[in-house]
Amino acid sequence: MSRYRKLFLLASLAILLHGCRSGYSALKPQAPDSTCIQKLKPVATTAWYHAGVDVGGKHLSGLLLIKNMPDSARRVVFTSEAGLTFFDFEFRDGDRFLVHTIIHKMDRKPVVSTLRKDFALLLGEPFRNKTISAWRSGNEVYFGTVKNKEASYFIADANCANLQRLEMGSRRKRKVTIDFDGKDTVNVVHHTFPMKIQLLRLKKNDADR
Amino acid sequence: MPQNRFHKKLHLIAATVVLALTHTCGFAQYNGYSAIADEAAFKVRFAAEASKISSISSDFTQEKELMALTEKITSTGKFWYRKSDKIRMEYLKPFSYLIIINGDKLTIRDHDKENRVNVKSSKLFQQVNRILIDCVQGSILNSREFSSRVFESQRSWLIELTPTSKTFHELFKTIVLVVDRSSYAVDSVTMNEVAGDVTKIVFDHKKLNEPIPETVFTR
Repeated sequence: MSRYRKLFLLASLAILLHGCRSGYSALKPQAPDSTCIQKLKPVATTAWYHAGVDVGGKHLSGLLLIKNMPDSARRVVFTSEAGLTFFDFEFRDGDRFLVHTIIHKMDRKPVVSTLRKDFALLLGEPFRNKTISAWRSGNEVYFGTVKNKEASYFIADANCANLQRLEMGSRRKRKVTIDFDGKDTVNVVHHTFPMKIQLLRLKKNDADR
Repeated sequence: MPQNRFHKKLHLIAATVVLALTHTCGFAQYNGYSAIADEAAFKVRFAAEASKISSISSDFTQEKELMALTEKITSTGKFWYRKSDKIRMEYLKPFSYLIIINGDKLTIRDHDKENRVNVKSSKLFQQVNRILIDCVQGSILNSREFSSRVFESQRSWLIELTPTSKTFHELFKTIVLVVDRSSYAVDSVTMNEVAGDVTKIVFDHKKLNEPIPETVFTR
């Protein structure tokens, strides 16, 4: 094996190992603070958003409604600006999920599964009526649950003053991050394939409620 | 048994009443409108009169109603049309969004993101493009994508379009156009989706046949 080839292999190994460490393996378990959990746990709030989705170099936009229903279900409806409904999802306690409507072009298992997980995280579904564990990493506290080898986290600063972001991933790899620019902007970023969703909350006075 | 015969008769009467009521409803579903007698003659007149419209500029108000969720969102904007294949629809509130159709070119602008599509590259875009233009030009009644029924009131015509093609049949139950009786310009478009949701776009402050600069359809 040539010297350069050895160097290349060593460098690749180092990058790979560093990559593994950037997952969740460095998290240190700690006792969960129930006051902080109650304060910062994400919950669904009824609102209309203008949504932009960038996936694989394509851009799609529309209006997104998140609504808490009187029967305690949470609904997520995405329509085009001109009014056509693309999908209507329902989330219920006990990880129950129902697709009320979806247009033929989006009705693919990977599409529904990806959107379901993204919106479930945003609505705080993985944390509803679940035992939440806590871990520390630097100045941040991770609160989370694990299901089917996938962990969902909401991440607070050390003083439990603010919700920093939401994350979802496997033990080794971060897959999705949701962060918030103030109260009105939500960014959903996928790390394993090129997909971003940006939600801009529409002003209450401008939309009929 | 006389008692049984009485019940059978009662059921028959009830069934007849229900049938009669539903039959009547089928023809009276648009309040204030009645079916026109000669649809073929209307088709010719509508196409001829609408073709006299060389341009339209108007405001619009769009109301999307999610029936099952009892939610409604209203958006407003500006609409421009210039004969024969240029449309600009600009949403201004509560979000900004722009669609420009200029011949075969479709431009969609969402904030700072702009998509330019050659309509010829997609059959769906071609169909949607054609329908929009057909609605404004009055040739929608000749479209193979829809079957139609036409009703009239003192002030307007009402055209009910039912999709016949698979693409639109999956999306819409009906699309209803209300056309001004004197100008033959479209007053409103109502899209009734298969899932029950309804979107109504009402065009207000219409100005017909006034010059509209080319730049409206280029940027």
